[in-house]
Amino acid sequence: MDNNAKDIITVKGLTKKYITYKRGSGFKESVKALFVREKVPVIAVNDISFSVRDGDIIGLLGPNGAGKSTTIKMLTGTLYPTCGTIEVMGYNPTKNRKNYVRQIGAVFGQRSQLIWDIPPLDSFRMNKAIYGISDEEFEERVSFMAKLFMVEDLIKRPTRVLSLGERMKCEFTMAMLHNPKVVFLDEPTIGLDVIAKHNIRDFIRRMNGMGTTFILTTHDLEDVEQLARKVIIINKGVKVFDDTIENLKKVLGAKKIVQLTLLKEVGTLDIPGASILERESPLKMTVSVDLERMPINEFMAKLSEQCAFSDISVKEMPMDTIITHIYQSKGIEQPDK
Amino acid sequence: MIRYLKIYKECIKVDFATASTYRLNFFLNCIIMLLGDIFFPLITVLIYGSGAGFEGWTVYEVLLIQSVFTMSTAIADMTFHGIMWATMDLVRNGGMEMVLILPVDTMFILMARTFSFEGIGLFAGGAAIFTIAILNIPAPSVWEWLQFLAFFISGLFVIMGIGLIMAAISFKWVGNSRIPEIFDCIRSFGKYPQSVFPKAILVFTSFLIPIAMIAYCPAAALLGRGNMTMFLMILPCVIFLLFGIFLYKYMVRLYQGVGG
Repeated sequence: MDNNAKDIITVKGLTKKYITYKRGSGFKESVKALFVREKVPVIAVNDISFSVRDGDIIGLLGPNGAGKSTTIKMLTGTLYPTCGTIEVMGYNPTKNRKNYVRQIGAVFGQRSQLIWDIPPLDSFRMNKAIYGISDEEFEERVSFMAKLFMVEDLIKRPTRVLSLGERMKCEFTMAMLHNPKVVFLDEPTIGLDVIAKHNIRDFIRRMNGMGTTFILTTHDLEDVEQLARKVIIINKGVKVFDDTIENLKKVLGAKKIVQLTLLKEVGTLDIPGASILERESPLKMTVSVDLERMPINEFMAKLSEQCAFSDISVKEMPMDTIITHIYQSKGIEQPDK
Repeated sequence: MIRYLKIYKECIKVDFATASTYRLNFFLNCIIMLLGDIFFPLITVLIYGSGAGFEGWTVYEVLLIQSVFTMSTAIADMTFHGIMWATMDLVRNGGMEMVLILPVDTMFILMARTFSFEGIGLFAGGAAIFTIAILNIPAPSVWEWLQFLAFFISGLFVIMGIGLIMAAISFKWVGNSRIPEIFDCIRSFGKYPQSVFPKAILVFTSFLIPIAMIAYCPAAALLGRGNMTMFLMILPCVIFLLFGIFLYKYMVRLYQGVGG
């Protein structure tokens, strides 16, 4: 990405409030709720400001219910902000919506643009008509995307027979047909296996290399580590971090979480940089490993010397731990932890 | 405009592809819709067969009204009525985002995407009764046919207006499965000769929600009973449609989405 690139997205004081209704559980509460409902104001996004440079990949991280999806929906113009301003490529998404959305693409990991009963290729033709794409450009784009994703045959089969990973590839193809300058991705890798995630990430990198700006929401730190140059972390509607991935790593330290199933109970682990976080049972424990002090391969070797285990999994730091680290690094109290 | 026509053509092709995928379901739905709506004119035949009926109206005249009603319903079901169901569904499950990110008019794309061939059976049934009725009344003049056409289109405006208002309500009244029943209930006043209603209801069906225009006015035109009041009723039909469009566009702005 060009370091002198100008801002393509500018968000100032973005806020989204709405009213929901509180209803208790159980029969008595249900009957009561038929007549009286308590209004509960919710601030889904609270005074968020940030900017995105042309050609960048931005990761919008946060735990479930943090306000990531609401933010991205406001950026795509599908939800109206309560207050604040958004400018994307000079457009205000809530005004002149039709002209604005023509310039952007969007993939919502839990929603589909594909039509269930017909092949993706027919759904692509629908978007061809909607975006007014010429025949030549359509053929060229479909052929390019299909080759990139290796879905040349799949796009001719009914969508309902495709796997989740195959469908996601087709969703991406559909979202990119009109060659959008900015693409919003809401949990694009949710529910996908390792290979499918790899394919999607590879695709995003390649399209970014061709100049497309991506904004993706995720609660998978790996997505961000592998794709984004800049990270914005949101917690309970408030922005808590907005910096480069390198600076996030400095705050968090290079740590991995290792989950172990032991064959025999062990008391302590005498491995520099490793500390037991939790013992779920005598034979199950979660260990934190500081990679700057102990590379993961050396940790494995030392672990094998000290204990016998039947299962091991290496994971990224959980989102709530990341949020706690960020609050601690800023020296401020974490709200409702 | 050309782009919108192309989009509509694609939507028709998609519906045809879907119908051909589930052929049995398609044919069954056509038959069920036909049987469901054709039942009403058959009752009219039975009522008149037993010696009873609507005063001042022959059985063929009443059948003419009801066949026009059936054809209007069928056209609405095929072309734009689906927006009501689609909006209710999309608002409840949060799928409206996928429509709002498209660079086209939201109302248009929802109507186009819900185009359904299944109403073709109903239209054929209505057209058959219409033909029988028209062959048993004095032949209408060209002027009467033109009046019929103007009133018939105005009637479609009314159905579209009611559908849009009901769809718009579903943005606020999320997941209420009774909305279509309210729609049907209001519309069903249009199935009868309006002269059987008291004056208060006539004002309601003529000017407030001009459902008399759905079937009664077009049929009356063919029977040579068209009058200036009916022409004046075209204006509330247009206003009613414009109000439905305005309300729908306004309510889309209030869309809240669902959790991610």
